[in-house]
Order: sequence, then structure tokens, then C-alpha cells
Amino acid sequence: MKAWTWLKDHAVNIIAGLALFYMLAPIAVIAVFSFNDPVGRFNFEWVGFTLDAWKNPFGITELTDALITSIQLAAISSIGSTILGTLIAIALVRYNFFGRRAANFLIVIPLATPEVVIGASLLSMFLVYGAKLGFGTLVIAHIMFSISFVVIVVRSRLIGFDRSLEEAAADLGANAITTFRKITLPLLAPAVGAALMLSFALSIDDFVISNFNSGATVTFPLYIFGANQRGIPVEVNVIATMLFAVTVIAMAAVIIQQRRAEKMAEKRADDAGTTGMSMPI
Amino acid sequence: MKTPSNHRSLKLLILAAMALTVSMVLVACGGGSGIDEGASNEDVPTAEGGEASGKVTISNWPLYVDPGKDGSIAEYQEKSGIETKYIEDVNDNNEFFGKVQPLFSQGDAGGRSIIVVTDWMAEKMWNLGYIQKLDHDELTTVFDNLTDDLQSPAFDPEREFSVPWQSGMTGLVVREDLAPDIKSVNDLFDPKYKGKVTMLTELRDTVPLVMAGDGVDPNESTPEDWTAAIDKLQKAVDDGQIRRFTGNDYVQDLAKGTVVGAIGWSGDAVQAQIDNPNINYVQPTQGCSIWSDNMLIPVGAPNTAAAYDFMNFVYEPEVQADITEWVNYVSPVKGVKEILEKRDPAIANNKLIFPTPEFTADCFDQPSIPGDEAQQKEIEQQFQDMLAG
Amino acid sequence: MTSLRQRLIPYWLLGPGLLWLLFFFVIPMYFMFELSLKTGSLETGYQLTWNWSNYADSISEYSTQFGRAFYYAGAATVFSLLIGYPLAYAIAIKGGRWKNLMLFAVIAPFFTTYLIRTIAWKTILDDSSIVVDALKFLHIVPEDGRVLATSGAVIAGLTYNFLPFMVLPLYASLERLDLRLVEASKDLYANSRATFFKVTLPLTAPGIVAGTLLCFIPAAGDYVNSTFLGGTKQAMIGNVIQSKYLVINDYPVAAALSFTLLVLIMLLLMAYIKFAGTESLMGEEDEVK
Repeated sequence: MKAWTWLKDHAVNIIAGLALFYMLAPIAVIAVFSFNDPVGRFNFEWVGFTLDAWKNPFGITELTDALITSIQLAAISSIGSTILGTLIAIALVRYNFFGRRAANFLIVIPLATPEVVIGASLLSMFLVYGAKLGFGTLVIAHIMFSISFVVIVVRSRLIGFDRSLEEAAADLGANAITTFRKITLPLLAPAVGAALMLSFALSIDDFVISNFNSGATVTFPLYIFGANQRGIPVEVNVIATMLFAVTVIAMAAVIIQQRRAEKMAEKRADDAGTTGMSMPI
Repeated sequence: MKTPSNHRSLKLLILAAMALTVSMVLVACGGGSGIDEGASNEDVPTAEGGEASGKVTISNWPLYVDPGKDGSIAEYQEKSGIETKYIEDVNDNNEFFGKVQPLFSQGDAGGRSIIVVTDWMAEKMWNLGYIQKLDHDELTTVFDNLTDDLQSPAFDPEREFSVPWQSGMTGLVVREDLAPDIKSVNDLFDPKYKGKVTMLTELRDTVPLVMAGDGVDPNESTPEDWTAAIDKLQKAVDDGQIRRFTGNDYVQDLAKGTVVGAIGWSGDAVQAQIDNPNINYVQPTQGCSIWSDNMLIPVGAPNTAAAYDFMNFVYEPEVQADITEWVNYVSPVKGVKEILEKRDPAIANNKLIFPTPEFTADCFDQPSIPGDEAQQKEIEQQFQDMLAG
Repeated sequence: MTSLRQRLIPYWLLGPGLLWLLFFFVIPMYFMFELSLKTGSLETGYQLTWNWSNYADSISEYSTQFGRAFYYAGAATVFSLLIGYPLAYAIAIKGGRWKNLMLFAVIAPFFTTYLIRTIAWKTILDDSSIVVDALKFLHIVPEDGRVLATSGAVIAGLTYNFLPFMVLPLYASLERLDLRLVEASKDLYANSRATFFKVTLPLTAPGIVAGTLLCFIPAAGDYVNSTFLGGTKQAMIGNVIQSKYLVINDYPVAAALSFTLLVLIMLLLMAYIKFAGTESLMGEEDEVK
């Protein structure tokens, strides 16, 4: 009976644990097979442990090129979409204006469109214009599909924060730009950071839209798709595992940084004697 | 609040918006009309030769050359001093065609000096006038070393526009311990292997073999023969006989034993055998289909002199030996076997890499789809619809 | 009275981003629509012939794949909700100092690339794998059955790949949940089940709506999972669109199918939002007061 009550009390945690296990199981498989030592070219039967691929993960030129392309693409498009999306979020939360509903609609619609449709419609347009498919068209596409996600992330943060600081700054004679730079941006930083990270992740993960609009440019996911025809090299597993590890570290750094920033902001607010700094729900 | 900087950013924004709009309108008016009516290969140019230098871009299939710092591409770059951009953006003949067609139809090669596609696609591109003629005087190494049986394929009898990169066989790949009696394509339709059989998503690989199983000569076939073969496949799909249609991932299923017989490619079989000796390539009793992937120089290609130079380079037996040793498909170059006999006898004596005439006696060249354009489209459509279940 | 300049500020802020969406989302949609009414082939070019039969033909011919897409996506959404809700709940309410770490574990798979993750599932669900053995032992899968190359595998893959899109909005709404309300209701109902259904669930409805949509929509258009994990009878409409565009190069029919898919999803979305009685998908209610 005791066991039963315990199980009932912890049911949520147990299910959550299983769910997390489910989320991370494939990653474990990927990581394990990055240490495999396949005899032939096919890396799906466990043969033996080796560090060979880890010692020289960038030995395959085409794979390395594809990875670099993907990282460049993700960097450019995440910065672009974060800037555009943040501006939109500020406008939507801070201002009442004619056409807000329409603007809102335009932002939700891409989220409601399957990737295949986005990729295909962009291709239709590029075909009509005779645009050269390649890195440029990929940047266009990746910024496009990330904007809406950025808006959502930044907006949820903006909605929940206090404007009295900004008003105080304005009262003290700071102009709009100074206020934005000194007050709004630092408060917004965690959300902008999260948006940047999310759009980076979406970009580096994207296969479907890129497959339609890549031309001769090969990104990391496209390389994998091609390589799958002849056996995916172990190096792919190594790089995927590395990407994962790097993100773990980066994310940990962000989390620590975020905590510090929040503490500082609280402290600053206390010093300024403002009231009502608690996060509204 | 009337700071000048505010004004400036305002103006900038207006300008940017206007520029965007204008450029959109401009492209909208300019585009969309560039498709040549009645394209043909009658007046295609011959690729120019000469002293090779500068930069060359090659589009090939993934993992189709020995990679890395000691690989053949790096070696070529070092030896010739030509900056070589080697991109692996050909995943599928049709998909590649869809990608490059808008450019090729304008006489623009998209910066590519060489592309590599399969026989039938090479023929299709040639018929559309997208491919340049080759000057055989520039390709002395190639034609000195090209194997005899590849000298005059049906689609390009004089090798006027194509040079083979690698060849291969499409046949049966079988778990001999689990299904020792699969000898013919028809055995894949045996109910005792229900749900343990895969075939290829490539129409021109799968259908001709099925047809041959029914006693039709694929190179003399009619559109009706193709339709009948696809009908036969459709029935097998409906019965649950065929587990999946695959790219080369059938090898994984074979290795695990979840699939015991597959239509597959010879090069995969060589690799799969290393992992699991029970996996074997079986030459179908009706024969296999033989194909090549070919290097072509598209119209509008930059630096064709370097393209010739590269073709000659990979036809040097020493270089080709490196490629063959890694890729494991059938090499189109003479003298490679002799080199590998010393270096890697296992590969030199593998009849999948160096097939003997007896081994391929019943094999046929991979056929093109017969009939007019509408019939071809219909056959492709029927096959794709079958894949979509 | 605000000056004109000040009233224009929001438009300057919106301008660049919305123009981007206009040029690279709305206008492409228009071109796709136009393309869907053309006839011709890649080699000979396409003419606008107002060929509405592209729609009629493609819908009647591929209704199976449309149905399959909605069925698989629906099943994956239900499973995602069943798995995702407890997970989001645990992270938001019971996470404590593990909160960020757990949240991260949900997003982290994004960084290993969709395709490799899906291919990894092939290894996990292989006929001779431990997982399948276990499922056979539990009689969930028949003794001579398999998981790979069945609808089950495709749904499992979809559930896996789109679970984060379910968990994140759920987490956001659960985190805002006022626990005092839950406590109060516990005092009144004295039954945790009633509390959950009468208080927690309604309060987190916006998260559920957002999560189910963000999960269902991409899943309905997906073709990667059915390509790698499905067999001969698991192709979804995404597979058909992909092969029409990239394999057969039949652009008009591909465009007609894409557009039909989009319209069907929009209809479903509107019906769903109406049914759920919430317009809070975008946080409307919280804005400018």
C-alpha cells in the first residue's frame, strides 16, 4: 500500500522522468555510435569502441564545409530574425495602432503553415524570378520562418514587465533612444538571448525548407540526407554530439548569466526605490 | 525630440522600403519568360580546351570520391594548382534536374564546370541542349584508358558529351543464410518472404529488373510493359509483400536480418559484406542492369579547360585506383585492377568491382523509359503514386 | 494629442519585419497559388490557364494521403499532450532548481539535427531491438509483428520530433498558474482530480491550444518521419508534395496540393480556436490596456 501511495504522489515526476528519457534516448544512441568502429561504411551495428572519429572529426572536407555553411547561415539568419522580430514585438506590446490585428495575423500565419508549404511557395517565387538558389535564398527563408518565433518569445517577456523604470528615465530627461539602450534593452536581454538561441536552433535543424531552396549550397542536414544514400560516416555522429555538447555548455553559461543579470536588475530596482518590481503573472 | 538622427533613420527606412518595392517590381517584370521553345542539342557548342588554370567547380553525388587530405580531390588541387570546389549536391537525378533546370535553360551552368548524373538523365539533358560537346583531342588520357565495354553506350554511342565517372550493377542483395534460394527477381515475390523484401525508390532501377523477371527485354520494352511491371509491384505492395521502397538504407535492414532480399546496388553490397559476410550480391538469373554516372560539361560552364584537365586526371589509373578502392563501384578505367592486385588484392579480385564478362553476360544497359513524353510522364506518375501507397 | 511622428513609431518598428514576411511569405503564397492554376511542364514552361482541375484531381487522387497526414498528426498531438503535460507540469511546478536544466533537455534535441534524430529512431525501433522485444513481451506488438515500417513508428517519430513544440507553451502557461487558486480549490473540493479538471486544466487552456497547434501543424505537413520510419502504406501528403515538386517536377499539382493543405489547416485552426473559445494564442488579452 505504501508503495502505491508513493507512486501516486510521484506519478508526475515519474512520467516527466520517462518523458525526458524519451527525449534524450536518440541523442544517447547518436553519441554512442560516435564511438563505433564500423568495419565497412555503414555505422548502424555496434562493432567496437574507438576514438578514431573523435580524433579527427573534421577529416571529411565536404562535411566540414557543410557544417561551416550551416553555422554561418544560422548565425546570420538568427541575428537578422531576432532584430526584426524584437522590433515587431516592441511595437505590438507598446503601441496601440491601426492594423494591429492584421499585423498579429501576419505573424501567426507562418506558424500555422507546414514547412513543406513554406519551402514550396518560396521555391515557386524564386523560380518565377529566376533567382539564383543558394546561400542567399537560404538566408531569406531562414529569417522568414524564424521571425514569428522571435516575436512570441520576446513579446511574452515584454508583456510581463514594468514600465515605471522607463518612465522614470524619461522623467529624468533621457531621450527615447537612451532609455531604450540603457533600460529596455538590458531588461529585454534574456528574452532576446532566448529568441536568438531558438532561431539559431531552428535554422541549424532545418531540413525541409532548405531542401527546396538550397541550390548548390549544402548545409549540415542536407549533407546528412545525401550521405544517407551511401552510409552516414561516423564523423556525422561526432559532430552532432559535439553540437549538442557545445549547446549544453552555452546554455549553462546563459542560465548562470541570466540569474546574475536578474539579481542585478532587482538590486538596481531596489536602489532606485521603485516599488512593484515583482514579476507580474 | 527633433534630433537629426531621428530624421535620418526615418528617411533611410523609407528609402529601404522603396528600394525593396522597386526591385521586386523590376524582377517581377523581367522574370518568368526565359524558357526556350523547342530546345535541342543541334547547335550546342563544343567545350573549349587549352591550358588549364584558375578555378573549377564540380557537382557530384555524396561520398563518391575518396575524401580528406589524402583524397583524390586534394591531390588534384595540389598537382594542378587549380582551385577545386567539389560540391556534393546531387542526391537524386530528378531532384538535381529540378534544381538546375531554371539555370540550364538560360544557358547558365550555375558556376559548375562538371556535373555527374546517370545515363538517362545525361541523355535527357543532352536532348534539351543543356550539355556541351566534348573535344576528344583534349581527353587523350580518358580515351586511352576508358574500358572497352563503356566506349559506346546506347545513349551516347560516340561518347560525344559524356565521360563515365563510375559504373555499377543493380541486382539482388540477399541474406544468404536466411534466404539461400533467392536467385531471381521473381523470388522476391515468393509469399514465404512476405514483408521481408525491399526494392529501390529509383524507377529505372526497380522496374526493368521486375520486367526482366517476366521475360521482357528491358531495352526492347514498350510503355505497356512498364505499366504491367508497375501493376505487378502495386499488387505486391497491397499484399504486404514489399516492406519498403528504399534508398540505400536497405543495407541496414539486411544487416539486421529484418529484410532477407532486396533490389540493390553492387557498391553497397561490397560495403555491406565487410560488416556481415552473410550479405551477398546475387546476380539475378535474368541478368542485372548496368548503369554509369557520367561527367558532363553544361552549356555556360566556366573554365572548361580545367574540366578537361580534371577528367584526364581521374582517368590516370593510379588516381582511379584510389577512387575505386574507396568507392567500390565498377571502375571505367583500364589498368586499375593491375594496380590494386598489388595494393589490395581483396578489392582487385572482387567480381563486383571488376566483373568478368561471364558474370555480366546476361546483364543489360539500364534502359530509358520508352514512349513519348506524355507516356513517360504517366509511367513516372504511376510509379510515384505506388510509392505513396 | 500625440504628434504624427509619434503615431508613426510603431509602423517603423514593424516595417522591416512585416515587409520581410510580406515579400517572402505572402507574395510566395500568391505565386504558389498562381502556379497551381497553370499547365505545362518544366521543359516547355508553364502557362496560366486557370486550370482548376489541378485542385479537383489532386484532392480526389490523394485523399488517402491527406487523411493519413491528419490522422498521424492528430495521434501524435494527442500523445504529445499526454506526455508533454506531465512533463511541463513537473518542470514548472516541481522543477525547483532543476527547472532550467529540464527545460533545456526539452530544447536540446534541436541541436543534433532533425534527420540524425529520426535515423537514430530507426536503430531504436529496429525489429530486433530491446524496445521492440519489450513491446512484444508486453503484447503491445504481436509476436511476429514489427514496429518499423508501420503507422506506429511514424506516429512515434512525429510525437518525438514535435514534443518540444508542445512542452514549451504548456510550460509557459503552467508557470503563470497561480498556485493559490489550486490550493484554494483543494480546500474546497478536497480532491486532486477535481482540482485538476476544474482549476488547473482550464487555467492552462491557452497553453494547451497553442501547444496542440504548434505540434499538429508541422506534423501534418511532415514527410521525413514517414520516409525513414514508414513502409509502403505510410506516405503522408507531405511525401506527395515533396515528390511532385522535387522528383516529378510537376509544379502545378504540387502547388495545388500545398495550397489545399494550407487551406485545410486554416479551416481546422479556425474551428479549433472557436471550439476552444480562446484567442489567446498570441497573448492578445495581455497587451496594451
